[in-house]
Amino acid sequence: METPTQSEVSGGKRLVSAIAFLVLGVAVVSTVGFTLHSVSADSQKKSYATVNGTADVNGATLKHAFVSESVFPDDATARANHVNRTNTHPWPFYTEEHLVLPAHSLVTMTLKVYDGGEKLNTNYFAKVLGTVDNTMLVDGQQVSSLAPDAVQHTFTIHGLPTSTQDSLFVNIPLPKMSDAEMEKNGFHTVVFSFVTGGAGEYVWNCEYPCGDGTYAKFGAVMGQNGYMSGKVSVVNG
Amino acid sequence: MADHIEQQLAPTPGERTAIFFKRTDVVRTSLLFIFWTAVFVVLGVVFYPKWMPLVMSTELKSAEAIMVWFTVISAPIAGLVLAITSNAFLNMHRGDTPPPDGPAVRTNGPVVAVWTITSLLFALVAIIWGLTEMNGQAVAAARDAKSAITVEVTGSQWLWTFNYPAQGIETHELNLPVGVPVVFDVKSADVNHSFWPVQLGVKVDANAQVTTVIHTTPTKIGAIDVKCAELCGLYHAYMETNGAVMSKDDFNAWVTAQGGHNA
Amino acid sequence: MSTLDMTSTHSRPVPHPKRSLITRLHMGTGVVVGIIFAALAYYALKSSLLTYTDKVADPLTPHTDNIVLLGSMFAWSIGFLVGIGAFIGPWRWMIGKDLTDEEILYMAGDGQGIKRYFKYCTDHKVVGIQYLVGVMTLLGVGGTMAMMIRTNLARPGGHFVTATVYNSLVGLHGITMIIAMIIVATGPFGNYIMPIMIGAYDMAFPRLNALSWWVLFTAIPVLCSAWFLGGIPTGWTAYAPLSVQAGPGMNAFVATIIIFAVSTAVAGMNITTTVVAMRTKGMKWNRVPIFVIGSTISVALAIPAFPTFMLAMVQTGLDRTFNTGFFDANMGGSGWLYANLFWIMGHPEVYVILIPGVAALMEIVPVFVRKPLFSYNAAIMGFAGIAGLSVLVWAHHMYIAGWAPSLNGPFMVTTEMISIPTGLLFLVLIGTLWRGKPWMKLPMLSVFAFIWDFLIGGITGIYLSDVPADGYLHGSMYVTAHFHFTLMGAALTGAIGGLAYWYPKMTGRMLNERAGYISFWFVQIGFNVLFLGMFMAGAEGQPRRVMDYAAVFAHSNMISTIGAYGVGIGMIILLWAVIHSWTKGTIAPMNPWGAKTLEWTVPYPVPLTNFDELPVITSDPYGYGKGK
Repeated sequence: METPTQSEVSGGKRLVSAIAFLVLGVAVVSTVGFTLHSVSADSQKKSYATVNGTADVNGATLKHAFVSESVFPDDATARANHVNRTNTHPWPFYTEEHLVLPAHSLVTMTLKVYDGGEKLNTNYFAKVLGTVDNTMLVDGQQVSSLAPDAVQHTFTIHGLPTSTQDSLFVNIPLPKMSDAEMEKNGFHTVVFSFVTGGAGEYVWNCEYPCGDGTYAKFGAVMGQNGYMSGKVSVVNG
Repeated sequence: MADHIEQQLAPTPGERTAIFFKRTDVVRTSLLFIFWTAVFVVLGVVFYPKWMPLVMSTELKSAEAIMVWFTVISAPIAGLVLAITSNAFLNMHRGDTPPPDGPAVRTNGPVVAVWTITSLLFALVAIIWGLTEMNGQAVAAARDAKSAITVEVTGSQWLWTFNYPAQGIETHELNLPVGVPVVFDVKSADVNHSFWPVQLGVKVDANAQVTTVIHTTPTKIGAIDVKCAELCGLYHAYMETNGAVMSKDDFNAWVTAQGGHNA
Repeated sequence: MSTLDMTSTHSRPVPHPKRSLITRLHMGTGVVVGIIFAALAYYALKSSLLTYTDKVADPLTPHTDNIVLLGSMFAWSIGFLVGIGAFIGPWRWMIGKDLTDEEILYMAGDGQGIKRYFKYCTDHKVVGIQYLVGVMTLLGVGGTMAMMIRTNLARPGGHFVTATVYNSLVGLHGITMIIAMIIVATGPFGNYIMPIMIGAYDMAFPRLNALSWWVLFTAIPVLCSAWFLGGIPTGWTAYAPLSVQAGPGMNAFVATIIIFAVSTAVAGMNITTTVVAMRTKGMKWNRVPIFVIGSTISVALAIPAFPTFMLAMVQTGLDRTFNTGFFDANMGGSGWLYANLFWIMGHPEVYVILIPGVAALMEIVPVFVRKPLFSYNAAIMGFAGIAGLSVLVWAHHMYIAGWAPSLNGPFMVTTEMISIPTGLLFLVLIGTLWRGKPWMKLPMLSVFAFIWDFLIGGITGIYLSDVPADGYLHGSMYVTAHFHFTLMGAALTGAIGGLAYWYPKMTGRMLNERAGYISFWFVQIGFNVLFLGMFMAGAEGQPRRVMDYAAVFAHSNMISTIGAYGVGIGMIILLWAVIHSWTKGTIAPMNPWGAKTLEWTVPYPVPLTNFDELPVITSDPYGYGKGK
């Protein structure tokens, strides 16, 4: 039986080399991780709701917060309406991605919507859900639902209902613009109010199948964060 | 030890058995066998009831029973494998030269035969158990078809909607009356989803253009979580909603509040 | 066969063939020509498809972006192979000639030192090392992604990365690891060791051997490009119609699988032919080392399996480009068609991964216990039984799909039956261990870890194969934990054991033992903690592939993440040991373990044709032990 000959490298040198390699390895993996993290986080500019006075909802007095958003069919239309934005893709988009809302408040959101539309895959999303009285104001008129083929996008907030945070579900169908109105840079103004619970993390997205996709009219824009989806943080204080 | 015993002159079969069970490695393996078997039995009996959610239907009850009992039944087999393995581990030889040669046993016909037949029997138990359960569920579904309420479930990216045709309501919460059989007709508005009311222990995929069906009977009042168990794109994780199994009166009151009518 | 003529020439330096293109081509020229081909295809397709780029309302308009991307990816692959000289031989044949003897010898990498690893080299030992480095790279990339996934899932609402990035991590971790695991044992050891084990000069088709590696190599940049095209949202299963709907990154997935399937077909055919036709004198079927049997059964199983995945991907590609609607129910297609094609590949595939790992360990146990392999025939029956049954069980992945519920019973029967041949594998291992004193070296440690991990993986597989239990567990974290126990705990552990065992023959040096032990315990303890946490999360009801979860799953996910970091640290230590020992480890003797298989009868570096004179075999390699 032959035995291996001794190594020419001393034990101390080996240990240093191994520890250096381990540190390097952890550093490489962490760098990859934090790069991905920061690449993702870049597109998550926060938009804070402004609190202005109080509101009475069902007998309770709550802080009243206001926040606004716009929806454009592409960045060119946005620039035509004095919203400066350059996107990687010629896709429709919401201007604000990460909304920060106060907890236990009445939030009134104003949406200016500039895009055209088609028919929803799921008609349920044509209903106004989760707002005060389950209604919204479209150009000043109170409505509780739209026709499923008159929708341009939806603004839908989801959370994980089994989480320990309060549940928050809001669905707002946004009325579409006709082609003629779009030519003239026309828009609808949609206003709705909903009540937030305690602090928590939620997501919002559009449930209208937009972007000329290859299946179920669901384009690439629906599969990526940043255009038709974002986050909602409800925070204390 | 073992080698020493081997060198004795031809013992009778009875003596051989007695000698076999006195060998140190056999004694040690037997003790390890008892230990590992006990570990797996305890694991089966404790782990699943502790970690699985509240059992709220007959289907989840049978799933849990399968997991507990199959662990218990397989415990002796796992125990034997691990006993022999851990005995060998404890018997380890260290150093830079190989250990002395062991006995040149190339095979042992009876051992292979007994092992194969045992695993065949084990597989048969699992198969028969499974088929019996499946059959029972199918029979129950056929029996309850008349009295069941129907819920049409639609999965779309990324929300579940529930349509109760007999009650005339559409919601995004799944509420069910306790003790009433329910039939879920599941379909998708776009890509594949998988409808999973967790505490009811059943699951079926939602496909475009086809309706898939599952049956269950809620047996307990309590909250249920409805999840999507098939990756469906960006917000698959958020395709969850809540619901409850409630008393019949509460259910009727809820239907009325939603603007529906009680059948 | 001209390789046979090289027997006596391997020791003297051979002049490079004069004025041959072969001497000037290498990986660099491959990359250049590949990029040129890809760019040409890109512009040619883009300009010729301009007419379609108007947003026509017609839903049947071809999707030009996908056509351009897919075309460029395939062009890259073909261009690379042209540029590295893969087609020089076939071209000569076409014009009625062949390579000269000098060129053949040059292609075998004779006397070219480290350069041959970057060339279209036909020497099976070079290909084996290429595979080894490739596998380690893929495992490193896939492992890094696993760390990201676990970091994101460390606490509820973590949002360490966005949903787009998270879904891409899940899908690309999956496919990277699957590709790595398919080649993890048959690539390095099947190519480097196996021909020596059976006493052959080389593989049956040395040029195809080089082709299989370099084709696989071209798939790696294609797969990586998915990251820069917006990622993939589908997981590695790429279920249609989600894959049809997905963004441009999906094209990278489709192209990768098609390219990879070509590579496995070539490699599978080559290995099978080599083992069938090139065993040395006296190596009857009952004297073939068990690793060779296992690898051959594994690749033979892959030969019919992968084409169905390739076909499914061709159809996905067509759906994505020309709206063929194979998988679109709205156009008369069916998502179930995809699921069937996928799992007809997918279930044999897990055994393609598993069998070589087990077989490597079966090669190791007799050597370290100094006993014959217990019941060689049972081992072969086990492998053959698994391979046979594995093509009949695919729809257990579809119990809850709603497709043919009346077939659930039959598929449950076949699936449960697999526990019988699997049991035989356990019997062989424990039978060999019984009454032995295992020599506690690195390769042997893997055997113990394998038995524990595969036992857990196997038992949990029994519940999952039972339809009523699967109704609860399907698509949950429980499934993820189960298949990681079999694929990682069993197959990867087997491959790492194989690496520790054959490392001295492949590098001429011993793998650093202390680092190996430390790595082993980090990986194994970390692994068990990681997936124990995942079993808990699954039993509690957490679905797979979710980027966020409810607070009830917080504890189990935290346990998993802690375990994952342990695995990560252990793997980095192992990587250090492999890299460091390669140049600085103790010089290995010819047969450090005292084994009886043929690869330990050749010196390091292994001569170009392995043997000066082919050995004659008179018994199987397991003649250890005393007495009868």
